[in-house]
Amino acid sequence: MTEILFFFEVVLAGMLAGTMYSLVALGFVLIYKASATFNFAQGAMVFFAVLSFVGFMELGLPFALAFVVTVFLMIAVGYATERLVLEPLMSQSEDTMLMATIGLAFVLQGLAQAVWGVEVRRLDLGIGDFPIPWVAENLGLFVSALDVAAGVVAAVLIVILALLFRFTKMGLGLRAVADDPGAAASIGIPLKTIMLMVWSAAGIVALVAGMLWGARAGVQFALVDLALKALPVLIIGGFSSIPGAIVGGLIIGVVEKTLEVYVGPFFGGGIEGWAPYVLAIFFLLWRPEGLFGEKIIRRV
Amino acid sequence: MNATPPPTPSGNAAPNVAQDDILVVDSIEVVYDNVISALHDVSLTVPRGKIVALLGGNGAGKSTTLKSVSTMLAGERGKVTRGTITYDGTPVRDQTPSDMVGLGMVQVLEGRRCFGHLTVEENIIAGAYSRSLSKGDIEAELDRIYGYFKRLRDRRKSQAGYTSGGEQQMTAVARAMMAKPKMLLLDEPSMGLAPQLVAEIFNIVQELNKHEHVSILLAEQNTNVALRNADYGYVIETGRVMLQGPAQTLLNDDKIKEYYLGISKEGRKNFRDVLRKESESHADLHHH
Repeated sequence: MTEILFFFEVVLAGMLAGTMYSLVALGFVLIYKASATFNFAQGAMVFFAVLSFVGFMELGLPFALAFVVTVFLMIAVGYATERLVLEPLMSQSEDTMLMATIGLAFVLQGLAQAVWGVEVRRLDLGIGDFPIPWVAENLGLFVSALDVAAGVVAAVLIVILALLFRFTKMGLGLRAVADDPGAAASIGIPLKTIMLMVWSAAGIVALVAGMLWGARAGVQFALVDLALKALPVLIIGGFSSIPGAIVGGLIIGVVEKTLEVYVGPFFGGGIEGWAPYVLAIFFLLWRPEGLFGEKIIRRV
Repeated sequence: MNATPPPTPSGNAAPNVAQDDILVVDSIEVVYDNVISALHDVSLTVPRGKIVALLGGNGAGKSTTLKSVSTMLAGERGKVTRGTITYDGTPVRDQTPSDMVGLGMVQVLEGRRCFGHLTVEENIIAGAYSRSLSKGDIEAELDRIYGYFKRLRDRRKSQAGYTSGGEQQMTAVARAMMAKPKMLLLDEPSMGLAPQLVAEIFNIVQELNKHEHVSILLAEQNTNVALRNADYGYVIETGRVMLQGPAQTLLNDDKIKEYYLGISKEGRKNFRDVLRKESESHADLHHH
């Protein structure tokens, strides 16, 4: 009985950790949908956003105000990116855009550290990273409060975004641009506005992801690399799919936790770090567009 | 009126530069990537409420002409380096494609270009993006559009990428009509479609022209169908207007027949050769 309960606990912990991966992956998906570009700067945006947030709090701003100010800052970053990077490179190849986002990543990382300094910061969201007592006592499950909070926040954010895309005019515009930017421009959908919206949304998602990750691991440069965990999530879920980002994140979370606990000891542990990438390779062989990735429609 | 001879490099015989031309293209030159010259000297006018056909083979410059007019050229690193384009009294030089849509000009791109993952209806609704319409307005507009594109009403919930070529072409035109344009630019609507479907689409185009009062500039390789549905025609080759005239005249023109239908003893030939042969025979006449 305790065996099953323990397994359940591992899976649950995996799923909750997975929602955090989903959240980071969501930022990638937004930008990939609109411009078919893998935004290498997403990790840097996570770092930049949360470091700025902590910085504003250190300057004495209350939590809510610091959050709002950082949201506006990320919109400004989105605007600057659109004007300084995307617009001049409009109609260049996807490879060029990819390289540009790598450059952008360095600029954002450097800028954040130049302004706020390089030391590791603590971020206290008021939610502890320890088991919820009530659940532990009554169900015998040890589930971290922070994990649960992260899962709820991620779920809410994802639902909001999915609804926006499905039911708003902007959402329709974004999906049109995702399919064929040229055709979208020909009927008067303003690409610039769509790009600005998407980069701002990705910036806000980065901020939320950064706050949740930062609360657990500390606000530090390592967040940039942690964000790369989103890569296997995207390969499994599909680069252009919001549900894909969610399911991909959950799969990665559960697989890496269960493997770590049950298979890890045979390898001397630490397989959490690389197991997701192995899984991603199998997916590339079996289903390169991902579970939810939009199939490339070809009519002959 | 006879088909006029090709224009001299200095000027051109644009007929009736009248007050009510919705579009005036005046001797434009277009260059891609700063080096590749695509149009050398193209002039044409579209009178308000008329259908004008732009004819020519592959690579003649039909699409480039349309994209110069709709300002879609910039997205492909092309640039109008000489000449002017005036649409409805406005110079189009500094406009963006979405400005042009706002001014009532919409281009239907070559190859249909539907949003494959959206439904047919979502495609059409996307066409209204530039207008601020309420939900009720959109319903009414959809109803109006489906009145012309009856086939699409049954396919409205289908994913556009999986509909037939004809349905995709109709979706693309319907989507453009949703922007309530005063002028449509159609690039090869007949491409890859069965004759029956081509006829169906051109019927719709005629109806839109008649009942919605849309002026139309139509690029086509299918000379016959295009001229039969147009009021006036221009033939371009390697970036120059070679011939122009009322559609009926061009339709009966032997040179057009020879060039496009290959009805000639010496087989298919380049349009310039036809003209050269003609001028040579004129010279011969002088000698005798």
